[in-house]
Amino acid sequence: MQASSNLLNWILWTPFIGVIGVLLLPKSKENAIRWWSLINTAVTFALTLVLYSKFDTTVPGMQTAFNVKMPWISSFNIFYSLGVDGISLPMIILTGLLFFLCILSSWTVNKQVKGYFALFLFLQSTVFGVFLAMDFFLFYVYWEVMLIPMFFLIGIWGGENREYAAVKFFLYTFFGSILMLVGMVALYYASGKGVDSFNILALQGGKFSSLNLELFGTSVSFAKLFFIFLFIGFAIKVPVFPFHTWLPHAHVQAPTAVSVILAGVLLKMGTYGFLRIAYPIFPAASVHFADAIAWLGLVNVIYGAFCAMAQTDVKKLVAYSSVSHMGFVMLGLAAMTVTGMNGAVLQMFNHGTSTAMMFLLIGILYERSHHRWIVRPDGSKGFGGLYTQLPRFSIVFIIAMFASMGLPGLSGFISEALIFLGIYEKYTTITVLALIGLLLGAAYLLWMFKRMFFGDVIEECKSYTDMNAREIAYMVPLCVAVIVFGIYPAPVLNVMRASVGKLVSMLATY
Amino acid sequence: MGQNYLASLSHYVPELLACLTMFGLILIEATYKEEEKGRGFFFLSAYLGLGSVMTFSFFSLSKPAVTIFTNSLVIDPFSSIMKVIMVLGTLLAVYITSQSKDIEGNLKPEFVIMATGVLVGGMLLSSANNMLVLFIGIETLSILSYVLASLRKGDDRSSEAGLKYSLYGGISSGIMLFGMSHIFGVLGTINFTEMAAALKGVETAQLAILMPSFLLFLVGLGYKIACVPFHMWAPDVYEGSPLPVTAFFSIVPKVAGLAALIRISHNFFAVEGALNIGWVGVLSIIGALTMTVGNVSAIGQRSVKRMLAYSSISHAGMMLMGVLVISELGTRSVIFYSLTYLFMTMAAFMVVSFVNDKYGNDHFERFNGLIFRYPLMSIALAVVMFSLAGIPPFSGFVAKFHIFTALLTKKYYVLAIIAGLNSVVALYYYLKIVRLMVLKDAESKDTIGGFNILNQSVVVALTVPVVLLGVFWEKLLLMADGAKIFIQ
Repeated sequence: MQASSNLLNWILWTPFIGVIGVLLLPKSKENAIRWWSLINTAVTFALTLVLYSKFDTTVPGMQTAFNVKMPWISSFNIFYSLGVDGISLPMIILTGLLFFLCILSSWTVNKQVKGYFALFLFLQSTVFGVFLAMDFFLFYVYWEVMLIPMFFLIGIWGGENREYAAVKFFLYTFFGSILMLVGMVALYYASGKGVDSFNILALQGGKFSSLNLELFGTSVSFAKLFFIFLFIGFAIKVPVFPFHTWLPHAHVQAPTAVSVILAGVLLKMGTYGFLRIAYPIFPAASVHFADAIAWLGLVNVIYGAFCAMAQTDVKKLVAYSSVSHMGFVMLGLAAMTVTGMNGAVLQMFNHGTSTAMMFLLIGILYERSHHRWIVRPDGSKGFGGLYTQLPRFSIVFIIAMFASMGLPGLSGFISEALIFLGIYEKYTTITVLALIGLLLGAAYLLWMFKRMFFGDVIEECKSYTDMNAREIAYMVPLCVAVIVFGIYPAPVLNVMRASVGKLVSMLATY
Repeated sequence: MGQNYLASLSHYVPELLACLTMFGLILIEATYKEEEKGRGFFFLSAYLGLGSVMTFSFFSLSKPAVTIFTNSLVIDPFSSIMKVIMVLGTLLAVYITSQSKDIEGNLKPEFVIMATGVLVGGMLLSSANNMLVLFIGIETLSILSYVLASLRKGDDRSSEAGLKYSLYGGISSGIMLFGMSHIFGVLGTINFTEMAAALKGVETAQLAILMPSFLLFLVGLGYKIACVPFHMWAPDVYEGSPLPVTAFFSIVPKVAGLAALIRISHNFFAVEGALNIGWVGVLSIIGALTMTVGNVSAIGQRSVKRMLAYSSISHAGMMLMGVLVISELGTRSVIFYSLTYLFMTMAAFMVVSFVNDKYGNDHFERFNGLIFRYPLMSIALAVVMFSLAGIPPFSGFVAKFHIFTALLTKKYYVLAIIAGLNSVVALYYYLKIVRLMVLKDAESKDTIGGFNILNQSVVVALTVPVVLLGVFWEKLLLMADGAKIFIQ
């Protein structure tokens, strides 16, 4: 065994070692717990960068050098198998980065510090599990286990309405995963219960396109039915339009760092699920439903933007803007062209950084103001003239806002442009309509900015202090990422190109 | 002939030991004065007796199947594993009884003695290879259960529960006997093996009598498993009985009924044909209804005990899904499910019992902020709740996964989806208790006397397999291979 071949194991289990470390530290040593978590996530992030440096960008599909495979339950041919390709690598690096920065931003958490950091690191481990798993069963287990730390993180450290939000989040996602579970077991039998029956890679390639099954006496296409099952499971996570209602609650109630992870990483697990599981396993059905996915994506873009515009709570506004931006990812996925898919994966990464910035900034502001009203329920202004009071904060906010708006030169622009280029030929109408969504995005963000940062300074805002060194420390890496990948996206694009190309060429045959 | 009987006895040790334990306990109880509190020796002998029953059942796991007493009983690995589960359930129920305050001191020995009697009935039921033995098993189990249900003599609710239970029980036994007599009329035998052989040659006209007769036969078993629509007695009995009795009812009679149902299904309905289709159809409707009704009724409960009791109905429905597949995989899934369910439900009932003893009721609010006072117990209960809802990496998920694999081998997609949606509904009320326990602030700082070191370690010991079996379940699967015996 070479050293590199255990790298994925290390990435997956280092946060777990962190959990054990936190649990062993005494409750009263709060700073020790914080530092330990920080070091742990820093090591994990460094490991993901090592993975990046060793990654061979010319290889399409799985990088066999990193594969880990051990039998787990041999009677069902379930394996503990990990792998990485160009689609999962950006997500893994994003996860490493965001968790590291979130630990820094969680420094001010004072309630049950030990439990918070233990659950947070546990969450990181499960998220890595989802992005690394190459066995459907293992993927499913991580996908579900993740709900447990999330439930407690929202439920204990969240806002006033946290319990409702936590329960709704849990039940919604669980509902989706149950359909996925049925689909997974059905796939196991459809593929002949062989050695590879839970192997995501071996299931790929449209083996089930011609299979039919009897349902109440009528013949139904196996692939189409279970594509819909998987679609619902993943769509709830994204969230795609009719399944999005858990998101505003979960985002608004969750503590800052958890919102960042939720928007930055967890939403991507849904779209990652399409790219890793739903599309490759049921290519024919994916092509069949591409129109529906595109239209749902469009609804996400427009509807999310309108909802965002109507919000008076700035965190809710950003939460709905996530719905809108994930709609672009869905559009890119529906395109099924190399450009569009590349754009979608890039958008997953870029939205992760830009929305993380937005949520972190709102968190910073909230620590000073203890409210998030743009306009209070009684009609008075919640914030005003922040620009003159908090100059450093405002500059970072402007960068984040423009990145999320898709201004040229910042990261959001490139991915959205790629998505539109990729989708234009196939869905011209949708492209044009989605461009309106882009316009709406600019409208609600700028309007929000105007109301909060310009105008007269309201009395309350005069006491706010500007960002401190710790806050600057965790915003700078994100600012850099947003600007650098806006000008030079090649480091991310190069990684994914081969793998995305492989997926698209497979889809193209249907 | 006489020698045959003597030789049979050597395979019949667990049952004999259980009977012996029961009689021994009656004698020991007689030596106590009414007002004496401790009864340490009594419980010690109960543990020893039940422990020896379990050891002997455990050792017969590896032995090949034999039929004894002129083919009227079959002792095979399947029946042995079911017995192990039942004895374990009884042992834990006895332990809860010894610690509980919900059941008065002088009633505790009565419960233990009768629970052992129910166990004997259940063991008989799981080994029955003859309709009459099956009937005797059911009646042994039932008659003692009626007494158990009305254990609190002064309490109206308890008496009502006992009366309802015995009325429903009497009627369903009658219906069952009626069905049996028709089956005997058509097939001319009451021995399962001979019946299975006779079934191969039946004509269509005979089928028309047989099918309804088997349905009548099912009534008796369905009543023991408390599946819809034979569950009317369950809410009253679960509410009226003391907590340890409810815990006992939620596992032992169900496992016994399921064991008998599995054996019958495998013997008579494994062959494709009209009988198979009819039986599976009926069982799927019953199973789907049971899951749904159990779950929906559990949602509105204020008392955690009742919530657990209703959810036990829904879990029985889930296990029926494994039964109706009639395959090795299905049987294995039921064995796995009932074993993990035993650990989960007993750990849950135990925690609830101690909270109930402290406050006099077990309403959901009593669990508020439990984690701040008893972190270990709260984590254990949370693990058990997540596991009951079927969330990985706990064993409840693996059990659910097995049921799904069993259902989908036969391509019962609709049933799998109904089962899946039910677990979403179930998650809601399981989550409720976790939510109150972890997310709410504590109402008071009282210490709960029941949570002493011994009891905490028992609860933790029950939770450990819930976690371990969720990750390393290969080993248990090998044990559950006892189910193979059915595939002839």
